[in-house]
Amino acid sequence: MRRVLIGAGVVAVLVGTAACSGGAATGGGSGSRTLTLAPLVPAQPWDLKDAGLGNNTQYYQPVYDSLLRLDTEAEPKANLATEWSYDSTNTVLTLKLRDGVKFTDGTTLDAAAVKANLEHNKTGSQEAAGQLKGIKSVATEGTDTVRITLAAPDPSFVANLGSVAGMIASPKAIEAGTLKSTPVGSGPYTLDKSATTGGSVYTFVRNKDYWNIKAFPFDKIVLKPLNDPTAVLNALRSGQVDGALITTPKNVAAAKSGGLNILKYAPGDVAGVYIWDRGGKISPPLGKLKVRQAINYAFDRTELIKSVYQGDGQATAQVFNPTSTAYDTALNEKYPYDPAKAKALLAEAGYPKGFKVDIPDLSAIFPEAQAAMVQQLADVGITAKLVTVPPGEVINQLLAGKFAMSYMSLASFHSWDTVQIQIGKDTTWNIFKNQDPTVTKLINTAQHSTGAEQDTAFKELDTHLVDQAWNAPWAVVENSYAYSKKVKVVPQAFTPVPGIYNFTPAN
Amino acid sequence: MKSFLARRLLSGVVLVFVISTLTFVLMRMTGTDVARNIAGVTASSAQVAEKKTELGLDRPVFSQYLDWLGGALQGDLGRSWFSGDPVTATLTDKLPVTLSIVLGGLLLSAVVSVLLGVAAAVRGGVLDRVVQVVAVIGFALPSFLVALILAFFVGVKWGLLPATGYTTFAESPGAWAQSVILPSLSLAVGAIAATAQQVRGSMLDILAKDYIRTLRSRGLSNRSLLLKHALRNAAPAALTVLGLQFIGLVGGAVVVEKVFGLAGIGSTANVAAGQGDVPLLMGVVVVMVTLVVVVNLLLDVAQGWLNPKVRVG
Repeated sequence: MRRVLIGAGVVAVLVGTAACSGGAATGGGSGSRTLTLAPLVPAQPWDLKDAGLGNNTQYYQPVYDSLLRLDTEAEPKANLATEWSYDSTNTVLTLKLRDGVKFTDGTTLDAAAVKANLEHNKTGSQEAAGQLKGIKSVATEGTDTVRITLAAPDPSFVANLGSVAGMIASPKAIEAGTLKSTPVGSGPYTLDKSATTGGSVYTFVRNKDYWNIKAFPFDKIVLKPLNDPTAVLNALRSGQVDGALITTPKNVAAAKSGGLNILKYAPGDVAGVYIWDRGGKISPPLGKLKVRQAINYAFDRTELIKSVYQGDGQATAQVFNPTSTAYDTALNEKYPYDPAKAKALLAEAGYPKGFKVDIPDLSAIFPEAQAAMVQQLADVGITAKLVTVPPGEVINQLLAGKFAMSYMSLASFHSWDTVQIQIGKDTTWNIFKNQDPTVTKLINTAQHSTGAEQDTAFKELDTHLVDQAWNAPWAVVENSYAYSKKVKVVPQAFTPVPGIYNFTPAN
Repeated sequence: MKSFLARRLLSGVVLVFVISTLTFVLMRMTGTDVARNIAGVTASSAQVAEKKTELGLDRPVFSQYLDWLGGALQGDLGRSWFSGDPVTATLTDKLPVTLSIVLGGLLLSAVVSVLLGVAAAVRGGVLDRVVQVVAVIGFALPSFLVALILAFFVGVKWGLLPATGYTTFAESPGAWAQSVILPSLSLAVGAIAATAQQVRGSMLDILAKDYIRTLRSRGLSNRSLLLKHALRNAAPAALTVLGLQFIGLVGGAVVVEKVFGLAGIGSTANVAAGQGDVPLLMGVVVVMVTLVVVVNLLLDVAQGWLNPKVRVG
């Protein structure tokens, strides 16, 4: 019993000591020169060939520098490449590289290093590698000029070089095959392995030889992945992290009342009902234009934004981003909420009693959106039969063409990105490979032109897709990023979370 | 005692083997296209096929299992299919987090439940009733709710202890203790309730026995009577309950780690199961089952030490 009592005493002392000194340590997560952020996901492998985009970018930004740097409007600006230009066919891009940049292992950044990176990274199959797939060859001219030849014009290629796809690692580390676990770049920081625990905390300390040190005011960057909305809120409110994305809209008010600032911005995602089987292959009704139009009339977008997104979104009937050249505000008036009209169209299409369609049960991921979709479809006579799919399998099953339609949120940045993601015939999210001559012709025109001609082609393509009711989008969603009063942050167009260079100390 | 331990050890090894085999079979039966998940959404079918071959997924399940088992017996649990990191290295990173909160929870529940149980049995009256009510409430409260309440009030509102995150012992023992107290407490509440009831019941039984009355009539001090005789005889039953509670604590760790943003074995298991990362999940299962076996073995040893009759049982 004495031992037990001693044990109890030890615990009591421990609790007491901790309670007395707790305040200092919890509040000490981030000093004025340390930026502590909580990304939603843990770091992926450091080899850029396996890199993802979106929430993963905050891990790559400290250690790797990119050929170009996107400004807050996502316009490419000079970075490792100081000049760039296309030839007349828009397929050969020439880049002039900055002088005197070194990787943290001492290797010099030169044309050969860029060539080695692009050739290595395009062999991967994750999102960043996907943006490099169009590269046919890379040639060097001297030590500071790189010539990239594309298989076909890619209007988004230059902008992509300002993101993870344009990041450059040490060619020596690529060759040694050590990049997967140890990043070696020429970025503003280096990974401090002694203060890093995979999946839990990643610490980056200054690279004192970085060429643009003044653009990064923090001495240290700490990334602590947290995916539970409550844990995120608690970490923010107790001052353990300086910034994190709030994924549950109802937590925004709690964050505000906890003394945090909220940054609202559209990351470039369009959410709503995507009609994958618009050819009617597995669900014949969806092959009919009137049925797809009926689905569009079935949704009360204004109400959906209030109930599903707590007001954080903008109603849309288009899959293109509002800031893109293809977007046309007038198209949003095409399908006002009109359940009677939806029913009439269904009857005209030969489905007076509606029809049934299998839909993957996404209630674990998008509970409110799914409930609203099922209800509003039911109101016009369309029965959504929910099919259980394990969360890890949802994307696979959708991409395998097992479902004719579903709720989904897809990235939508520049016009060409949207074409590349979901409209082009062989693109990932054109699951049933639908195409019609007008779509093909307009894509072709947009791809091979520039300026006003290209803008017109994109606008016509958008109009055609809305007329044909390819999908039934609801909203351009808005993200809420909560940040402490110790830092300032500006939003970055087309990204789910601000880049690390968007943060500065508040003082 | 030796043969008793040997028997327990052998049954533990069999348990680890059976559970790991079942897990492997179940994971491979789900039909998940893991190769596509790993290769990424932009992967061509050739790249998916290449990934399948690289992971050995194109081979019969039995031969995949034998490969895994062969490696595991030599201490090599393979590499995570998603991160590419060695499973043993990942577990070495995550295990201390889970061990800290689970063993912390076990220690807390052992100490507090004995104190409460003994006090209730010996003092009786109001104290007994209060302990009983508290125990029922504690038993009814799920650990995630306790975790949410503690994180909000103690962590966020009062700022006494960290609301999220884990500091390693090597980095700072003080900060480590602070980071594990709330999660341990969240886990311990249910176990304390169950074990305190058990201790109370056993103590009441023992205290009513003839030999206690005899010892008391010989003028033995109350303290000696309680600690040397009654509690020692009441402890085995409590230890049995504590052993069972440990399994519950390990299960509860999954949720508690989530609430406190701890990257431990629980959250790793969650992610690995969701992704279909077989090597990582197998590693987690082997480690956790081994842990349960070892802790139960230690409790058995403690039982044997307290009660010699157990050793021949």
